[in-house]
Amino acid sequence: MSLLPTAMINKADAAQRRQHSYDEGEITKKRSVCTHCSVGCGVVAEVQNGVWIGQEPSFDHPFNLGSHCAKGASVREHGHGDKRLKYPMKKVAGEWQRISWDQAIDEIGDQMLAIRESAGPDSVYWLGSAKFNNEQAYLFRKFAAFWGSNNVDHQARICHSTTVAGVANTWGFGAMTNSYNDIHNSKCIFIIGANPAEAHPVSLQHILRGKERGGKVIVVDPRFSRTAAHADHYIRIRPGADIPFVWGMIWHMFQNGWEDEQFINQRVYGMDEIRAEVAKWTPDEVERVTGVKEADVFQAAKTMYEHKPGTVVWCMGITQHTVGNSNTRALCILQLVLGNMGVSGGGTNIFRGHDNVQGATDFGVTSNSLPGYYGLSQDAWEHWARVWDVDYNWIASQFDQASYEELNGSPVSPMFTNGITVSRWIDGVLEDPENITQKDILRAMVLWGHAPNSQTRGPEMKAAMEKLDLLVIVDPFPTVSAVMNDRQDNVYLLPAATQFETYGSLTSSNRSVQWREQIMAPLFESLPDHNIIYRFAEKFGFADQLCKHIAVNDGEPLIEDITREYNRGMWACGYTGQTPERLKLQLANLHTFNKTTLKAEGGPCDGEFYGLPWPCWGTAEMKHPGTHILYDTSIPVAEGGSPFRARFGVEREGQNLLAEGSWTAGSEIEDGYPEFTSDMLKELGWWNDLTAEEKAEAEGKNWKTDLSGGIQRVAIKHGCAPYGNAKARAIVWQFPDPVPIHREPLYTPRRDLVAEYPTYEDRRNFYRLPTRYGSIQAQDFSQEFPLIMTSGRLVEYEGGGEETRSNPWLAELQQDMFIEINPADANNAGIRDGRQVWVEGPEGGAVKVMAMVTPRVERGVVFMPFHFGGHYQGEDLKDKYPEGTAPYVRGESCNVVFTYGYDSVTAMQETKVSLCRVRPA
Amino acid sequence: MARMKFLCDAERCIECNACVTACKNEHEVPWGINRRRVVTIDDGIPGEKSISVACMHCTDAPCQAVCPVDCFYTTDDGVVLHDKDICIGCGYCFYACPFGAPQYPQEGAFGARGKMDKCTFCAGGPEPDNSQAELDKYGRNRLAEGKLPLCAEMCSTKALLAGDGDIVADLFRSRVVRRGGRPDTWGWNTAYKD
Amino acid sequence: MMKKIISIVFATFILSACYEDTSVTLHEPGVYKGKRDTQTMPAEEREALLKQRFNQVQTDR
Repeated sequence: MSLLPTAMINKADAAQRRQHSYDEGEITKKRSVCTHCSVGCGVVAEVQNGVWIGQEPSFDHPFNLGSHCAKGASVREHGHGDKRLKYPMKKVAGEWQRISWDQAIDEIGDQMLAIRESAGPDSVYWLGSAKFNNEQAYLFRKFAAFWGSNNVDHQARICHSTTVAGVANTWGFGAMTNSYNDIHNSKCIFIIGANPAEAHPVSLQHILRGKERGGKVIVVDPRFSRTAAHADHYIRIRPGADIPFVWGMIWHMFQNGWEDEQFINQRVYGMDEIRAEVAKWTPDEVERVTGVKEADVFQAAKTMYEHKPGTVVWCMGITQHTVGNSNTRALCILQLVLGNMGVSGGGTNIFRGHDNVQGATDFGVTSNSLPGYYGLSQDAWEHWARVWDVDYNWIASQFDQASYEELNGSPVSPMFTNGITVSRWIDGVLEDPENITQKDILRAMVLWGHAPNSQTRGPEMKAAMEKLDLLVIVDPFPTVSAVMNDRQDNVYLLPAATQFETYGSLTSSNRSVQWREQIMAPLFESLPDHNIIYRFAEKFGFADQLCKHIAVNDGEPLIEDITREYNRGMWACGYTGQTPERLKLQLANLHTFNKTTLKAEGGPCDGEFYGLPWPCWGTAEMKHPGTHILYDTSIPVAEGGSPFRARFGVEREGQNLLAEGSWTAGSEIEDGYPEFTSDMLKELGWWNDLTAEEKAEAEGKNWKTDLSGGIQRVAIKHGCAPYGNAKARAIVWQFPDPVPIHREPLYTPRRDLVAEYPTYEDRRNFYRLPTRYGSIQAQDFSQEFPLIMTSGRLVEYEGGGEETRSNPWLAELQQDMFIEINPADANNAGIRDGRQVWVEGPEGGAVKVMAMVTPRVERGVVFMPFHFGGHYQGEDLKDKYPEGTAPYVRGESCNVVFTYGYDSVTAMQETKVSLCRVRPA
Repeated sequence: MARMKFLCDAERCIECNACVTACKNEHEVPWGINRRRVVTIDDGIPGEKSISVACMHCTDAPCQAVCPVDCFYTTDDGVVLHDKDICIGCGYCFYACPFGAPQYPQEGAFGARGKMDKCTFCAGGPEPDNSQAELDKYGRNRLAEGKLPLCAEMCSTKALLAGDGDIVADLFRSRVVRRGGRPDTWGWNTAYKD
Repeated sequence: MMKKIISIVFATFILSACYEDTSVTLHEPGVYKGKRDTQTMPAEEREALLKQRFNQVQTDR
């Protein structure tokens, strides 16, 4: 029955009014963003009496046009939350006990303060999350700083840290350069080490639209993935041989003169060294190392040359390697060779993972930087102390006052040294204290929105969890952390609210900043993350400093005030123009944005790009539209144009690092130029363009540290980019491998290649820990463990999967953990499809999973998804969950078998190549 | 009068299962009942194709023809619905259906077949539009709200289309013209006569 | 006469077995015996609304 007789309804709003309504109460619509991946799909929720009763397609939304994948189409289940952690709990003598929030904060806080007293602040590890919104991520990093440690990190370390490092060091910023929507304009879509059909399904809408408009799709992957099923050209590659493959393509390009000479001369530094390395990768050698035939490599190179602009897409298949940083740089170089950068349809479209992993990275939930990529130098700390309006010396006093590392021969405070990475926290617990460059080992671990089963070396992680004094888990679900260890005491579970129970901004993969509305109040006794951060700050006595300029209402720091605070400090990557007011205005006018260009056409946001993609320069008053396509020199900086960033100096070995003969449209400096400082403004005669107030603030500052925004405003007024105009660099001279070179994985079956392409030497100190390379590769495991093991995603689940496996609509679709194995390998091992098998790894881990016999993987390669957890080496851990919280589907974590191995720049974990053997169970 | 049809564009379907969970979400379909599912052929080898399948709401529907209690009817806009009050869960319709659409919940201690359940094209059933009774027995009635089936409205790549058959065909034809190749309207020859 | 009819019927059967009949309707349906389904919205109004909705939601834009 409709609510009103038909005759009473005006025809024009009939659709609006004829809402289903089974209870009394007005139905309101709330706009949020899916929390499952970085595409940033809009969600429309219908709410009645505080209950989320319906989910509608957000068809006005520029990113998804109403579409969802299985996960996005099921987010309303969050409103049920049957399997949620419902109240704070504590494990006592092996039993879970319900406790109050006050008791939890008090007991945890007292123990942490005691650890701080005896072992120093660095013995507590604050592991944050890409599930935070931007405000929570920012507040979390600030909180860790006030606690006095750089032992803070999040999932970006294990998903795209190598991208951020490799790409930022090539041309300035470590992020996706274009957007999903912009792929409509691509004439070639080159996808390597990525399976967006499962990991970013809505991106396929844009990719297939590009394909239907004539774009050629090339997929390079060890598996014939669901993405490969839609490719024009699929190329199977041996896992861990990406650099030889890319060099093989470029070899053909150089051979045939397919490179963009003008682009390289004007905008690229160091291509000659690349030429020298590429020359070694003849078609024969490429085939020997990668397994790919010359014809395939040639065809891929030719297609990219003939179909410009082309875009390059990559994900974990590229990043999660010991040579991950080199992999990402090789792909940047491919685009530089072709001149595909800074153009619509081109770029490096690096698909990030979690919904806000880009934002959490930008806000520095990392052990090597403060928010905004300012790093950990004294200048960086002084900048943020000014933004926070707290005494720099007070912050410094919160840190361990001793020194454990040296910089240029003098001791340096832990305040300025990189903390332990999330990928290695277990070594921070298990390593001999003598070998760790901080006061003591880790004694307390806070896993705040993190799935432990997404990390390698499961058995060692179990041991680490058991060795800790204190284990704290903050999450909407108990997570695998609650059950994978045999601790009997001192484990705390604190229920966090999901992003549908709070509000704020997030940054999608394409750097667009979106605003979420709150759909419903936090369920059960859960609290939003920023409330929990505040409670800990109160306990530690620095809540007033933490929220000095942030209103706190009933224990909740005001989100909008946090946004405004980061707007005051995030100059270095242009997060200064995205005020709450501008973001909310865009949210109310989604329909005005063009679905390909992302530009608002008319309406109150006219001329702005959707989400004001960073950099969105200057203060909000400048009304910068955001930057849709990075490094696009065809439009003025004021309209979203930009050159490559001058980040690496102006000259090296007599060669000019600045751009030559290339500048953004309308630039008054018609050549390269360095980054802007107050002195540079004076030299240019532009100083008097600043107002008196701006002058007072800008004196002695640069474009990153001038809190007035005057330097940025004046640079842009003259058509210049605040960060300068330089060349991208093909060689990164500070990295272990300035030119990306091939190195065999630690666990390689190709012993014949180890001597020629060895890994690195072991290191004494890397992010505070000794790190092994050569000593592992020296051992031959390939006889006992003959199969290459790789891992990846399924469309139904996300990350460690606890949330999605607790959603019955999703769980029903994937009920068994499995391993893909080629029919030949299965027959050789006596394995039948659908039967249970043991998968055993060289470090002793073993999992019991179902065999899926399929030619999707080639002979010698097996694949497992990483979303499962809740079983451990053959045992179902259901009874170890607090009552009623065990996910519907549980299974073995493939990371129990995955092994040691870390990227040489960022300590990214190696999950894409290891070895194993499989036998019937 | 418009004639409602489903069309799944196999060139665009990526087997993401959004249609399946959208259906579960909209109608609170219980575990074990699948009004819609995705079928993949040549899984894992070149030529792999996926199609999202549910009740196609056939012209002269075979289920309707074989039903011993005559519980099926076709609405003015071509949607095939049934009255669960008189359905006896005999299973004839399942054997008649070329798409395997009918589903039966297990009921009672012996797992007897319950009343048949299937895709309603989000058009509810023979209870007053948007009543609690309609919701409980058939799920939501989007058509009565001026909306189309949620599976198609949420399809990740807009592979699955649902609406007036003429408009659906027009959209699909223009897509095929742009990308080239043959138009493959999977299932239409079996399902639709008009 | 009877023989002839039988042979025609037989021949039809043989022939029809040689190609696939795409019609799956084996016999005529009976008359619907359930409750009458009343629509609250007039058919023309619904048709217009659904057309608008299709263009709004399911098209590439």
